[in-house]
Amino acid sequence: MTTDDRRLTWPAEGDSRAPYWIYTDEGLYRRELERIFEGPTWSYVALECEIPERGDYKRSAVGEKSVLLVRGEDGAVNGFLNRCAHRGAQLCLQDTGRATTLTCPYHQWTYDLQGKLLGLPFSRGVKGQGGMPPDFNLADHGLTPLRVNVRGGAIFATLDEATPPFETYLGPKILAFYDRVFGGRPLRLLGYSHQRLASNWKLMIENIRDTCHASLLHVFLVTFGLFRADQPSKVQMADDGLHAAVVSERGRQELTAETGQIQSFRPDLALEDPRLLDTVREFPGDATVVMHTIWPNLILQQQSNTLATRRIVPRGPSAFDLHWTFFGYADDDEEMTRRRLRQANLMGPGGLVSIDDGEIVNRVQAGVSTGVDGAGVVEMGGRDYADADHMVTDVALRAFYRGYRKVMGL
Amino acid sequence: MSRVAVSRDELEELYAEYGDVIDGGTLERWPDLFVEPCRYRIVSKENYDRGLPLSLMLCESLGMLRDRALASRKLNVYAPRTWRHSITQIRGLVDGEGISAQANFAIFETLQDQPTQILCTGRYLDKLAWSPAGLRFREKTCVYDSTLIPGSIVFPL
Repeated sequence: MTTDDRRLTWPAEGDSRAPYWIYTDEGLYRRELERIFEGPTWSYVALECEIPERGDYKRSAVGEKSVLLVRGEDGAVNGFLNRCAHRGAQLCLQDTGRATTLTCPYHQWTYDLQGKLLGLPFSRGVKGQGGMPPDFNLADHGLTPLRVNVRGGAIFATLDEATPPFETYLGPKILAFYDRVFGGRPLRLLGYSHQRLASNWKLMIENIRDTCHASLLHVFLVTFGLFRADQPSKVQMADDGLHAAVVSERGRQELTAETGQIQSFRPDLALEDPRLLDTVREFPGDATVVMHTIWPNLILQQQSNTLATRRIVPRGPSAFDLHWTFFGYADDDEEMTRRRLRQANLMGPGGLVSIDDGEIVNRVQAGVSTGVDGAGVVEMGGRDYADADHMVTDVALRAFYRGYRKVMGL
Repeated sequence: MSRVAVSRDELEELYAEYGDVIDGGTLERWPDLFVEPCRYRIVSKENYDRGLPLSLMLCESLGMLRDRALASRKLNVYAPRTWRHSITQIRGLVDGEGISAQANFAIFETLQDQPTQILCTGRYLDKLAWSPAGLRFREKTCVYDSTLIPGSIVFPL
């Protein structure tokens, strides 16, 4: 056993501990990129409504790799690495746009919307001199393709041939939650926010799956009953523990034996303009909030009427980018759109709720970065992995780390 | 008849006051710089240019401004920081619509144990009105340039 191996030995307590080196180790991070992001996983990359017309493209990422999603001539979505097949220059610098062909400015290699190399200048030389060798075949030099899956208006991509079909990948339980939001109603893009946080990417996913913290950290969620420990709630997970849905029903701002125990509950707090929380029920069933974590890079947010994808792009062990795409449905009336835009105040880089989360993950990173000697304790609710019918539990963290260890061989 | 003219000094004074209220830690006075009905929004240049309606912050009344100010001052949890606004290139325009003004802003953010960073730069696109208390904002749109915000935006821009 080398020093490094010893350093990366999971604590004896197992999945009820999260050793701090998983947030800081550079070698482990490289392994995560290979095994997770570039391995047999579906990375969320875009919404279909971002590229509605032929030739529309969007720049996104699979792991750290820049990728392009392009609506092809046949109307299907194609995905490629955003990298010219010639010398590796980034093909596209714009986040979105429309094109009939894609041309790298360096030597003008030109591709069609399917990623096929159409041609390049000087291929037969100039005045009989130079040019590509006679056996150079355009068909061998297309853009590197990705496998792409579209379901209910959301686009996922993978670099690995072995990634199972999307539906199998999510499993029936999580697929049902997914379909609740992405059930086929055409989507309407409302806008973007992007932020870079100084924390390990896993801390963001943990933050969503850490159901306990919401009742303690967030005065807004707690006071206005958007997500609170005394409300009917559940934690549902895929068999491997890697995808999860955290579900709850809105409660009232009422001082009870339970809310009285919660320090961040403020019975006296009233909004001067309550339109912010003028929520309406729009999905079947009793749940008013479902926060999904879809392995490895998507947080799908349905909090009341604010819907968003939060796409994670890892940037080394101690940073990640969080790309928020807020959306509604194409058939929303004006009032519903206004409601979604107003409730968007809760979320994003300036969100009344999510400011706290962005700050706290940075704070955890600052704490764990000081050494490899410690481990987080994830024992709330016991030491098991079973779905729970309440939120006073770390079960979604234990299940996450059980799945993570298996993938990573830890 | 209400006054529509505005001098450069009056404009300068309003923007200086605006930056001071936020940077000086007196956010409770921030709503006082608006008149009802009012609208305040922070929007990325990306959304603004593409006509996408999402705001990073949106306040549609004095009440919402006060709610946001209260949240920033007392409810949100964030690391201590100092902000410094630099507001330049202020230009006013008076026409049939009333008074409008534009200005550039840069906000420097200082956190513990870190060098001061530029949080964001951008442009204010504002509509102003005279109230008995002085020149005030009727509409304030903060269009920020950043494609990636370092951390979070914990106060109004």
